[in-house]
Amino acid sequence: MLKKLQALPRDSRDTLFLLLVIAWVILPQTEHLPLWCSALSAAVLAGRGWLVLRLRPLPSKWWTLGLLLLAIVATFTTYRTLLGRDAGVTLVVVLLALKTLELRARRDAFVVFFLGFFSMLTHFFYSQSLLTAGAMLIGLWGLLTALVNSHMPVGRPSLWQAARMAGKTALLGAPIMVLLFMLFPRLAPLWGTPGDAMSGRSGLSDRMAVGSIASLALDDSVALRIRFEGAAPRPTELYFRGPVLSTFDGREWRSLRSNFAPQQQLQAGLQVRGEPVRYEVTLEPKHNPWLLVLDATPNAPQLSSALPGASPRMTPELQWLANEPINDLLRYSAVSYPQFRHGPADASASPRTHPGLQDFLTLPFNFNPRTLQLAVELKRDAPGADTRALINTVVERLRSGGYTYTLDPGVFGPHSADEFWFDKKEGFCEHIASSFVVLMRALGVPARIVTGYQGGERNTLDNFWVVRQSDAHAWAEVWLAGQGWVRVDPTAAVAPGRVGTLQRLQAPSGVLGAAINTLSPGLSLQLRAVWEAVNNSWNQYVLNYTQNKQLNLLRNLGFESPSWEDLGQVLAACIALAALVGAAWTRWERRQSDPWLRLLAQAQTRLQSRGVANTPGTPPRAMAQRLMQDGPGRRQDTPHWQAIHDWLLRLEALRYARKPAPGSARADRFNLAQLKREFKQLHWPQ
Amino acid sequence: MSPPSVRPEPVEGLRGRIRHWWLARQPRTDQLTLTQRKVYILPTKAGWMLAITLLVLLVAAINYQLNLGYLLTFLLAGSAVVGMHVCHGTLRGLSLSLSPPEPAFCGQTATITLTLSSQRKAPRYGIGLSVLDSQHWVWCDVPGQGSSRVQLACPTPQRGLHALPALTAETRFPLGTFRVWTIWRPAAPLLVYPRAEINPPPLPAGVAHDTGSAAAPSKGSDEFDGVRPYRRGDPLKQVLWKKAAQTGQWVSRDSQQAQHSELWLDLAQTGSIEREQGLSRLCAWVLEAQDLALDYGLRLPGVEIAPARGAGHQRRCLEALALC
Repeated sequence: MLKKLQALPRDSRDTLFLLLVIAWVILPQTEHLPLWCSALSAAVLAGRGWLVLRLRPLPSKWWTLGLLLLAIVATFTTYRTLLGRDAGVTLVVVLLALKTLELRARRDAFVVFFLGFFSMLTHFFYSQSLLTAGAMLIGLWGLLTALVNSHMPVGRPSLWQAARMAGKTALLGAPIMVLLFMLFPRLAPLWGTPGDAMSGRSGLSDRMAVGSIASLALDDSVALRIRFEGAAPRPTELYFRGPVLSTFDGREWRSLRSNFAPQQQLQAGLQVRGEPVRYEVTLEPKHNPWLLVLDATPNAPQLSSALPGASPRMTPELQWLANEPINDLLRYSAVSYPQFRHGPADASASPRTHPGLQDFLTLPFNFNPRTLQLAVELKRDAPGADTRALINTVVERLRSGGYTYTLDPGVFGPHSADEFWFDKKEGFCEHIASSFVVLMRALGVPARIVTGYQGGERNTLDNFWVVRQSDAHAWAEVWLAGQGWVRVDPTAAVAPGRVGTLQRLQAPSGVLGAAINTLSPGLSLQLRAVWEAVNNSWNQYVLNYTQNKQLNLLRNLGFESPSWEDLGQVLAACIALAALVGAAWTRWERRQSDPWLRLLAQAQTRLQSRGVANTPGTPPRAMAQRLMQDGPGRRQDTPHWQAIHDWLLRLEALRYARKPAPGSARADRFNLAQLKREFKQLHWPQ
Repeated sequence: MSPPSVRPEPVEGLRGRIRHWWLARQPRTDQLTLTQRKVYILPTKAGWMLAITLLVLLVAAINYQLNLGYLLTFLLAGSAVVGMHVCHGTLRGLSLSLSPPEPAFCGQTATITLTLSSQRKAPRYGIGLSVLDSQHWVWCDVPGQGSSRVQLACPTPQRGLHALPALTAETRFPLGTFRVWTIWRPAAPLLVYPRAEINPPPLPAGVAHDTGSAAAPSKGSDEFDGVRPYRRGDPLKQVLWKKAAQTGQWVSRDSQQAQHSELWLDLAQTGSIEREQGLSRLCAWVLEAQDLALDYGLRLPGVEIAPARGAGHQRRCLEALALC
């Protein structure tokens, strides 16, 4: 196979290499691309490769045009638009693949390279992880190699030669990259990004159609990192509060749409007691304003980088919100109290005294009839039981009624609570929480769903706690007279392991992961810890490099109150410095020639000025001979010419003759420095 | 040798004028070491395309707040800057030298042999050479501390001693985003002989010797040294009929007799044709006489070269034809 590859004509080899690089660049995209796009690109690339291997001609341009038209129609059918991010990414990938079908002129090759660069950037819409960066770095190297290779027109240079040159170019370019990265002013988005820009990113949502968290639970990416000052709270206390969902239309839970005037709605009424937990959070940007903090945080988190506008505010449901969507990694510190009460907490309170509580009792009409019936039966079975007892009954039912926790419960019909309670008897936290809250409301207990993250994992290397998207969770809060809102986690009843013990259902790991796990269960955890630590630094130093950090850098450089102008000045100064270094490098490079050749060149110019014809590169012996030939009968006699003649022959000997034994008489005269000295002493007759 | 007369190159429009003026300022030299001042650099179309690409990438990075996008954009920009330096460095410091060009016949292409030598340790890739404006590029690599030879074809539209056309060397290595080039006016002149007439009339008949010719004819025309193509006026008995029957071409015995008359190639003998055509015919005759190893002399207005034979003689005759 390798032999066959080596036997290919150079053009074919280069094209094949370029196809491989393009495939490498496109490959990680496939999970975000529509299936037809991946299939089409793969088919085109494979077909093109086949043409290359068989040395067949390219298809006519009608083929390409036809495929392009097909792709545009398919894109439009998939996204209902040709604009916007996802449609754009799909089109770029298709164009990149199709362009390989008409690699005719050099210009076509350039179009491929530039489309390649674009499609590399589009990866970063979906992931900016270290892994993505590494993969794209390799892709970039490949593209540059192909580019360099296409500018080596002579013979058949090895790809490795081009790769070395490309690597060198990129390496030398890296300092420029670092400089620009640190000093290029971070601007706000120039215009609003198209609407679908954020849809590809998973995260909590302010609405919950039953089933929407299923994909989230499998997502191992990091949601936030926490460093606790002092001891971390117990795992069962690690509830990070996200959006609270209170209004249900039968299909979807949303945040509260109250039926009451603002003054009648519930207030937070938060009271805290006990020991506080202090910690610092690094929040991955999710393009929403939610500041995830532990339950319960009475005071606003201290943001390390000031977001413009007023400080964060707390909703009546205890969720903290920033003023605008968070688009950068954000760090903030917070103080939370695991012991707290909130909501109307006096014993006499009831939905009658606090009409706002009515909002948490409403259920959609004509949904879940069997659950409503179940509530009636429960009440009938335990007449006069207080709310607490009813809740216990329901939790007991979850615990021992044959309900199981699964990530793959299948599709639920319109009566999702009915299906959960009676038919499927399985689901994950959002099904359980939703069904639980529906039943609570049917029982006349005000209840709502809280979404957020539960749990986390400590990295023993850097002591950061990592909370992943797979820790996303939904639990319930019920209102009890005299106690206010009380957290009930029905999922804990179904799957005690899900909450508190840091064990969660894991998506099956790959073959490699499984192999590592069987070899040494601890090793994979340890590897993961190292990986997390590296990843964390990546996030802290690269992805979280923001405007504020830029200005901080200037402050450290000694600027009192840094501004854009200062940033520009520093950048300009650095560029000027770089230009000077470049000039110095050029000088240094010029002196990098062989000293022997330099001496020879000096002798050559000197001889030429004395009328001895020769050209650069004339060997010393030829020069010596010409010296004696040119002036017939004259030069042999002159001792000066004779000396020059001898000197030239010794110059030759220094390069080509065998080295004399060290210590011998000749050895003293056998070095370049000596010859240089003699060159200066020689007498050059006119 | 007198300095070559530079024939003015066609000058068209303002651009051509400026170029002509600029070219005329360049000193002619047979050896050129390319310094900073001789090497020019401009972005190519692809370079501008890359600039636009970088701009779009930057806008995307800003709009979607992608720090990794910034990294990618800046790494590409850095590579392009380094590529610019590498590209410039590929020509900078290169030495070009010209081997004296061999004379050529008008209408044929003359070969210009160049030696590119490099003193730096790293090789220089992808250097293209061509006659200025000809678009026929010859590509070569120059190894580190080595040299490579390149041959360029140069058209020869007119006979005479010409200055070589301006040559150009260019490279786009490594990224193709910049074009680095230099323009070189070699000093060595190119001698162009007249175009040799195709199917010329036979060589003119020799002129009888004046001195001592009487003693010789005793040998008669029976002893012959060889054969030669039939020439008008050859006695029929000198024709080799057998050969003619076999090959269809008339061949005559080349006897000593012919040597007793002197062959003079004279512009006046070429008939009442144009001067250039006459020179063309003379050129063809010179070549033919040389092929037949005859002694021949050349008579041109103001020039007379005594009969002789040999490569040196031929060269002298052709030079005279080229320059008259």
